[in-house]
Amino acid sequence: MGKYIIRRLLWMILVLFVVAFVTFCLMHLVPGGPWDRDKQLPQTVIDNLNRKYGLNQPFFVQFKNYIFNAVRGDLGVSYIYQDRSVTSIIMGGFPVSATLGLVAFLIAILVGVPLGIAAAIKQNSFIDYFAVIFATIFASMPNFVLGILLMIIFSVTLHWFPTSGWGSIRQIIMPAFALAALPAAYMARISRASMLDVTRQDYIRTARAKGLTERVVLIRHILRNAMIPVVTIAGPELAGLVTGSFIVESLFSVPGIGRLFVQAVSQRDYGLIMGTVLFYAFAIAIINLVVDILYGMIDPRIRYD
Amino acid sequence: MVKHNDGLKVSRRDFLKTAGALGLLAAAGSSIPLSIFSTSCTSTKSSTPTTAQELNLNLAGEPAQIDPNRASWAAERSVISQVFEGLLGFDKTLTVIPVVAKELPTVANKGISSDGKTYTFNLKNNVTWSDGTKVMAKDFAYSIVRMLDPDLATEYASFYYPIAGAEDYNSAGTKTATEKAALKAAVGVKATGDYTLQVTLGDAYPVFLQLMALWPVYPVREDVITAKGDTWTEAGNYIGNGPFILTEWVHQDHMTFAQNPKYWGTKPKLTKITYKMITDANAALAAYKNGELDMSGVPVGTEKATMGDATLSPEIVRNADLTTFAFQFNVHVAPYDNLTLRKALSTAVDRASFVDKVRGGVGKVALSWIPPGMPGYDATLGTEYSFDATKAKALLATALTELKLADASKLDLRFQYSDTASNKTIAQFLQGQMKDNLNIDLTIEPMESKAFTQTVNSAKYTWAWYGWGADYPDPDDWLPQLFGTGAGNNHTTYSNPAFDAICKTAGKELDNAKRLQEWADAQKMVMADAPIVTMFYRERFNLVKPYFKGLTPTGMDGQIMGDQFWTNVTIEK
Repeated sequence: MGKYIIRRLLWMILVLFVVAFVTFCLMHLVPGGPWDRDKQLPQTVIDNLNRKYGLNQPFFVQFKNYIFNAVRGDLGVSYIYQDRSVTSIIMGGFPVSATLGLVAFLIAILVGVPLGIAAAIKQNSFIDYFAVIFATIFASMPNFVLGILLMIIFSVTLHWFPTSGWGSIRQIIMPAFALAALPAAYMARISRASMLDVTRQDYIRTARAKGLTERVVLIRHILRNAMIPVVTIAGPELAGLVTGSFIVESLFSVPGIGRLFVQAVSQRDYGLIMGTVLFYAFAIAIINLVVDILYGMIDPRIRYD
Repeated sequence: MVKHNDGLKVSRRDFLKTAGALGLLAAAGSSIPLSIFSTSCTSTKSSTPTTAQELNLNLAGEPAQIDPNRASWAAERSVISQVFEGLLGFDKTLTVIPVVAKELPTVANKGISSDGKTYTFNLKNNVTWSDGTKVMAKDFAYSIVRMLDPDLATEYASFYYPIAGAEDYNSAGTKTATEKAALKAAVGVKATGDYTLQVTLGDAYPVFLQLMALWPVYPVREDVITAKGDTWTEAGNYIGNGPFILTEWVHQDHMTFAQNPKYWGTKPKLTKITYKMITDANAALAAYKNGELDMSGVPVGTEKATMGDATLSPEIVRNADLTTFAFQFNVHVAPYDNLTLRKALSTAVDRASFVDKVRGGVGKVALSWIPPGMPGYDATLGTEYSFDATKAKALLATALTELKLADASKLDLRFQYSDTASNKTIAQFLQGQMKDNLNIDLTIEPMESKAFTQTVNSAKYTWAWYGWGADYPDPDDWLPQLFGTGAGNNHTTYSNPAFDAICKTAGKELDNAKRLQEWADAQKMVMADAPIVTMFYRERFNLVKPYFKGLTPTGMDGQIMGDQFWTNVTIEK
């Protein structure tokens, strides 16, 4: 297992390098730059700005400088938020997105998985139909539609929560639910399907034939095996939620990193784009590694060497 | 058949029961403390003896940076105007007034030399920074020279090139340190006394006083900047001389201002201002309805619905911006290089219908370039382009003959635009007008936002949408850099030697009446050549709570309507 982890980490370094290079190329190939304004800046001012940020140097020199600084932890300065380093911006935005993502993830798991399990155990009952309808509705509703609905109902009409912002528990609830709807629906469907599949396996028959109580069969045999596909999808879901959703963050004015990233791209903020992409790649690679290891622990059939 | 579901049934039911109970408990538990803290409910409150003088506004985004020398965006100005004050400022009629300066320099009081090249500003001696130290001429001298520093790369430096030595210093980025130091010392800004500032220009520049009322020349503290570096603009370090201080800045979330206890002038009545950063227009309106904001815009396209809404319509406040929007032609690209064709296209657009349908009735039809509210506005100009479909068809026929084309289908007209929902509506409107009124098939070409900006700035477009807002309220900001040959913002590539000649003389004319007449002639010249099809003058459309008194909108507001005069505001609940 140890050698496996080391191998994965080495691969991760290579992946990050390739991601950095491809992003750097794409950024500079796309038309338009950070100094393009509707009221065009005079050439002297543009020259001064390019010199300040090293944009007047040849492409590969810029890339080399960037990588050398990045490995030392200096991701450069944002071109738009000129007084703040990319690292401080990301460190300011990521905990917010991560908190929101984790809360949404917990809601998705605590709502979706039990619902799916209950639906599978009581197939074709009221709970089953309810779960399937729930999953279909929330899988097809876009999260900004859900977000606005929540805002209108719970903020404007009922005055239970503030409409937007960040800092108190009351402000997390609506964006977390808006974000959790789709993963919850997805988890419900997957856990239901997986439970149904495992319940029909031969080894469950064997367990029952051996006289084990239904409770033991459920917890020690069915659930453990049925959760494997759920863990498999839970990992990437968590990665997606934690890296921030642009739409929900924009709607509820959550100062997270998803909103920052999309804004950075449209404003050609090279420094922030590179920093965020590298950070995302790193976060996703780590989360995938953790999920794979977890997977190995849950499923005894998997062996890493 | 072995019944093995009985045991399950009990445990499942129990499980669901407990889960449901827990869920209800959680919901109930979270709702109780909410209604206690939620003061936005329409619950009856016992009247407090003094209403808290606190204002909540929406900045709609995080300002890029709030260093006065480097700022250029409207959101930044909304912040800087509260914390700093300059030598001069604008009153609510957009007249230049002295603020930190004792009086406005004129030739009569020897503030301006007779050749118009030397300006002497006498400062009041009781103006203080928020930490108690006095504001002195050296703070202004330091600030202006810093703004021109090529290594700082400020975006408004070129506006101050009329100052002697400014352009040379600002272009000296590639020179050695000694050369830079020499050029810096040669800039014509000197503190000749503790409270006297002398500015020397390269040539007479009649609108220079307006430039001295803008934010890039607000004073800044050299010792604070040297000590704190990049963090000097964070709350706590951000020392200014204005009526408010920045007490809190939670990045991407909100900013809080409190009264400046050491303010030298009349203290504002507001004790606290909060700028929230709600980027979504629908969320902002919801926040306004929920009582979290005291003023808000409405989502584009809902203006008519808002005017029809019985609860909201009494709270509407509208104010004209100094902004004109127009269609611009690239006059060196066929067939747009034909004057008659341009006139035909201009006469074929129903501007009133545009304002009504595309802008929801908010804004005024524009027949000429300079907007009302500014000196130089000419209400009689451009009437030849009023919508007239018959006249347009006749002009088109003439144009086709001149271009030696058989009919309109031989014209290949294209329109480029930045691909947003509102721009798409504008493009489709134009397409409809061309088809209905001239039977021309216009091809509309959407582009990504920055790609579009680049295409326009490099004059590779053919026909596009364009807007211009005033940096300062004078035709000097509206004509030479937009229509002068080779000028920085001349994207129509319009070139007229007679116009260039007027720009040169008017730019230096010290007799104000004569100067404005020269600019009026220049504007007439531009409108006669129709490189643009002016469409509408923009208006701001906001909802304002009835207890929000003293809102003073002007044409020079930053991001938020009325943000130049929060000192006039009181809350009366």
